[in-house]
Amino acid sequence: MLLYSILFPIFALLAILWFVYRYLKEKQSLGTVILWTVLWLFVILFSIFPKFSERFASLFGITRGLDFIIIVVFVVLFYIVFRLFNKIDILNEQINKIVKEVALNNEIALDDEEDE
Amino acid sequence: MSVEISNEDKRATYVVLPAYNEATRIQPVIEEIAQKGYNMVIVNDGSSDNTLEVIMESKKKYPNNIHIFSLMINRGVGVATQTGFDAVFRFNPKYVVSMDSDGQHSADDLDNVIEPLVSGKAQAVIGVRPLKDMPFSRRFANSVMNILTRIFYRVDVSDSQTGFRAITVDALKKIEINARGYLISSEFIREVNDNNIPFAEVPIKTIYTPETQAKGTNVKEAIKILIQMIKHQF
Repeated sequence: MLLYSILFPIFALLAILWFVYRYLKEKQSLGTVILWTVLWLFVILFSIFPKFSERFASLFGITRGLDFIIIVVFVVLFYIVFRLFNKIDILNEQINKIVKEVALNNEIALDDEEDE
Repeated sequence: MSVEISNEDKRATYVVLPAYNEATRIQPVIEEIAQKGYNMVIVNDGSSDNTLEVIMESKKKYPNNIHIFSLMINRGVGVATQTGFDAVFRFNPKYVVSMDSDGQHSADDLDNVIEPLVSGKAQAVIGVRPLKDMPFSRRFANSVMNILTRIFYRVDVSDSQTGFRAITVDALKKIEINARGYLISSEFIREVNDNNIPFAEVPIKTIYTPETQAKGTNVKEAIKILIQMIKHQF
């Protein structure tokens, strides 16, 4: 057995436990936990049974299992970056709204300076 | 050529000044506008220098002409201008102007920019800067932005990135500005055009100093605006 087929599953199991722990502490949504658990389970599967990746690869017309894994990783990373961009955009919009609202409700008068 | 605007119309005009780290430049701008009899809504855009204190100093001299609002963190010229446009409604103005607070624009141009609104020739005005006065990088970025504004917003103007603009309050109620940064210039033009608001271009003076050149639409800003323009298509 190769080193990676021992290390990767251990790391993946720890990651799954971490996500479950965060879900139980209500810091992570169920959807996110399921998504990441499925991904980490695939890491375990491909680490212990590398031949599996070739079967998956052939399903998509890709010859090498490693190529398939790299392509999947790229797709997942792009999706995460896209989601993060969207989230940041929404957060920015919400911050702008709050900052504007606070400013509009607090016109600065000369008395404000004297009070300080 | 300068035109005469009545004191009544000047009192009914509010100049929105977004200000970010302008402590060394804003005071003459504010006081020149106040001396001309115009009112102002100044929005401190979360400045990290003492811009707010400087504005307060001017308010002590012209307490009735100046209204101050302050964003607690820096959100960009677009958000600061939006805040000014929202705030201005509570003062029941007839005309609203927005201009840069770094001294790039001359308060002497206010009368000229307001005139088409007062005379009823237009309901929105953009102040057009002479291209020949612009530094090369700024001129290049501006020309590109004019082309992009034509492509994405289908409006043909001589200066799409000007920060000097005026609008009647009725027209201002019709437009919706969402831009956070310098995209506000193109967005203002798009909104005016989309709402069929009659608009005019008025030539204005521009005072370029090394400090004013550091701000505004340079190539980096132009790329950011392009990305936002593409995003706005969806």
